[in-house]
Amino acid sequence: MPETARSTLEIGYGGSERLTMNMGPQHPSAHGVFRAILTLEGETVVGVDAVIGYLHRCHEKLGETLTYVQYPSIASKTDYVAAMTVELAYVSAVELVGKIDVPTRAQWLRVLVAELQRIASHLLWLGTWCMDMGGALGGGATVFLYCIREREAVLDLFESLTGARLLYGFHQPGGTRYDLPADWAPQCRQTLSLIEQRIGEYEAMLEDNAFFLARTQGVGVISRELAQDVGVSGPLLRGSGVNHDLRRAAPYSSYETFDFRIPVETAGDCYARYRVRMAEFRESIKIARQALDGLPEGPISSRPGVKSVGQVRVPKGEGYARVEGARGEVGCYLVADGGPKPYRLKWRGASFSNLAVLPHILPGVKVADVVAIMGSVDPVFGEVDR
Amino acid sequence: MTLPPLAYHALVGFVVLNVVIGMVTYVTLLERKFAARMQSRIGPYYVGPHGLLQPIADAIKLMIKEDVVPNTADRWVYNLAPIVFLVPCVLIFATLPFAPGLGVADLNIGVLFFLAVSSLEIVGLFMGGWGSNNKYALLSAMRAVNQIISYDLPFVFAAFVPVLLAGSLQMSAIVAAQQGVWLGVVPKWFVFYPVIGQLAFVAFLVATLAAENRVPFDILEAESELVAGFRVEYSGMKFALIQLGEYAHMIGTSFLGALLFLGGWLGPGAELPLVGALWFLLKAMLVFLVVTWVRWSFVRIRVDQILAISWKLLLPASIVLLLATAFWVAARGGHAV
Amino acid sequence: MPSNSAGFWTETRQLVRAVGRAMGVTLRNLMRRPITVRYPTVKRVYPDRFRGILALTYDRETGEENCIGCRLCEYICPPQVIKVEMLKAEKRNYAKTFTLELYSCEFCELCVQVCPTDAIIMLKSFDLATADRRELLLDKDRLHALGLQFEPSWATGNRLRDMQAPPKAPKAAAAHAAPAAPGEASDGKT
Repeated sequence: MPETARSTLEIGYGGSERLTMNMGPQHPSAHGVFRAILTLEGETVVGVDAVIGYLHRCHEKLGETLTYVQYPSIASKTDYVAAMTVELAYVSAVELVGKIDVPTRAQWLRVLVAELQRIASHLLWLGTWCMDMGGALGGGATVFLYCIREREAVLDLFESLTGARLLYGFHQPGGTRYDLPADWAPQCRQTLSLIEQRIGEYEAMLEDNAFFLARTQGVGVISRELAQDVGVSGPLLRGSGVNHDLRRAAPYSSYETFDFRIPVETAGDCYARYRVRMAEFRESIKIARQALDGLPEGPISSRPGVKSVGQVRVPKGEGYARVEGARGEVGCYLVADGGPKPYRLKWRGASFSNLAVLPHILPGVKVADVVAIMGSVDPVFGEVDR
Repeated sequence: MTLPPLAYHALVGFVVLNVVIGMVTYVTLLERKFAARMQSRIGPYYVGPHGLLQPIADAIKLMIKEDVVPNTADRWVYNLAPIVFLVPCVLIFATLPFAPGLGVADLNIGVLFFLAVSSLEIVGLFMGGWGSNNKYALLSAMRAVNQIISYDLPFVFAAFVPVLLAGSLQMSAIVAAQQGVWLGVVPKWFVFYPVIGQLAFVAFLVATLAAENRVPFDILEAESELVAGFRVEYSGMKFALIQLGEYAHMIGTSFLGALLFLGGWLGPGAELPLVGALWFLLKAMLVFLVVTWVRWSFVRIRVDQILAISWKLLLPASIVLLLATAFWVAARGGHAV
Repeated sequence: MPSNSAGFWTETRQLVRAVGRAMGVTLRNLMRRPITVRYPTVKRVYPDRFRGILALTYDRETGEENCIGCRLCEYICPPQVIKVEMLKAEKRNYAKTFTLELYSCEFCELCVQVCPTDAIIMLKSFDLATADRRELLLDKDRLHALGLQFEPSWATGNRLRDMQAPPKAPKAAAAHAAPAAPGEASDGKT
């Protein structure tokens, strides 16, 4: 058991004695509450024992006690960094099982906010990753604050749209809850141009940088077979050479009408995943612009506004809906029994499956690389522990 | 009134020590404001007008904090470490001449004394990491010893290039050798010396960054991995002493850099001692700000990469540079300027 | 890190260029104005739909309380922070007691959405920080006082429901593709 192993303090620097060190759950770079019990030989990690569950809040049980109308606001708390995509997973599952139509305008709005949310989530990823690699007071904090500054611009957009900055409650079964305010579209275009320009600045700051390349190239390589075996998704999968993106492979919410590229890199190291996400920034900006340009008129929901808590009833059935979240495939499996509440709700968290790759890639790397790898895996523990 | 020499030197030493400590606390504020502006934010603002009393508030806070000593710490080593760390870091100011005749001791081996004493901080650092009886602290202390030892050599070699060019280890002589102007416009500071001066200055800056445990070489603290490095178990006044020592060392090497490469107290009006000291201060702050600017622009590199840079790149380069300078000076008949 | 002399000069040149570029970005940001908003002396402008603290409203013309004690907000609240008791009267009902535990509120706006009389709304302020949690257990008087104290947000129940409802009569060509009228699409009531 790691507990007894941890009580020995034999330290062998570069020798053959092993040191068991706890990284987390309170740790500046654990990206949330995550405990990794590392076994070190000198500076090299030889074993990792990942302990999760510190953020478990019984989401799946909550899904059984809250109705279809109430739960979308709560769903955003699983992947709280990319709340729009995760709410979309839930309402997609409800619409799938309940065979509820979604009007086109609502679908396009959902695409628009999902892509904006992807931009905001990737900005947070870039900021925290650079901060982890550079230290809270070092050069990393600079990039962190710049990314947060840009993310604030996107969050201001969401605030004008829904009134909230992080957890929105934007989606409802049948459509969305809010429509665009009058002057939102020009503001959105302005923000998109600003972010496009600033992404260029960050790429300039980081990409040629020999220090950054030394820390990320060749570090944490996930081979293509390993990626497909373990079941990772999202940028981790696309950074290892697998061209799989749910927006293309299983289009939802009218993604098939948009024109965008799926960035794929083959190296499988942290740098490849970084390049995938940076390319995804630009693709998301492209999609968002297309959505703004071609937004159809019409209702934003196929059901009337929420008037009572049991308004949506879904007949018996079960189904699994999945979306391409910022971190990978976010899925929601719903078993309905005809009432206003689900019988069973199961979340497939992207970060949960992504974290499963850690015991395969961490042994053999240095302690400092653990931080870089965790950052490039980009877990959000709301999704992992639910 | 003429005092006996011992009393005179003691008095001057006391004044310099107090000025240095005062300057160190305000340099922390300067760094925080500068870093904040580079990050689109403001920095300390509320304590005093525009945050000018922030260092005082920090000092008072650290003094009244509870002194927590870990139960299993090695008491003598743990308690002595901050002092052993601080003393060399402040002692280096004894050899710096702030203006002609204004300084504690203008030794004729000034530069050598400075470099030798400044590397004694490693002892205090390792004592801190060892005495804390903490895995993280020990790990960081070992990394630090590795790093500082590796970079002290290029540091020394880079600092010796101006010594060779000036022909003396005495600091005031080095400054005197930088007097005058070339072509009527460019001052004869060693940083403007063609090729050799710039390379030596760059090598000096890089070695300073590493010897100070500054990003990109701050694997020692690595806040996101080891939280605070060897300082992690220190609180209150002991922590204040360690911080003081680190920043004092930082400023000391900035002063050294300004003296060796940027002409020390030379500048318009340098005949008056206080104006010369002011120029010296401004140049040292410029070196410090450049180091801070680098600190806030880069991510950190791993310890094996740091050591690789030192032994495979910087050390051979600085040896070659030193030899080249030596040949150049010898070829010009023993004097370069 | 350059360890072979073959690419030494190219790598050195790259390194110098990369260092210069990174430091150039930080220098450029040094010249930009900080984006800090010096709260609380300076407050930023909140958007119209800002979801701030909650309040109860009075009718604009008659000055009567809007709340009819129907308890729809109590039923829909996900963390169940609202507790209402109805008081029956001749012409209309009132709320006898209305407590809202603001410290547990999620600010999801669902209660505002369902209110049939636009009684409960959210305000454009969140300035209710206190050292005593009991001050955040808002009772009916406190809620009404807050409603008069701060500026209300745009969202009220009817406005939100109107925004979400499909149009009843075809107004544009796209509306022909809209699904059936609301009466047939919705299912039952609680």
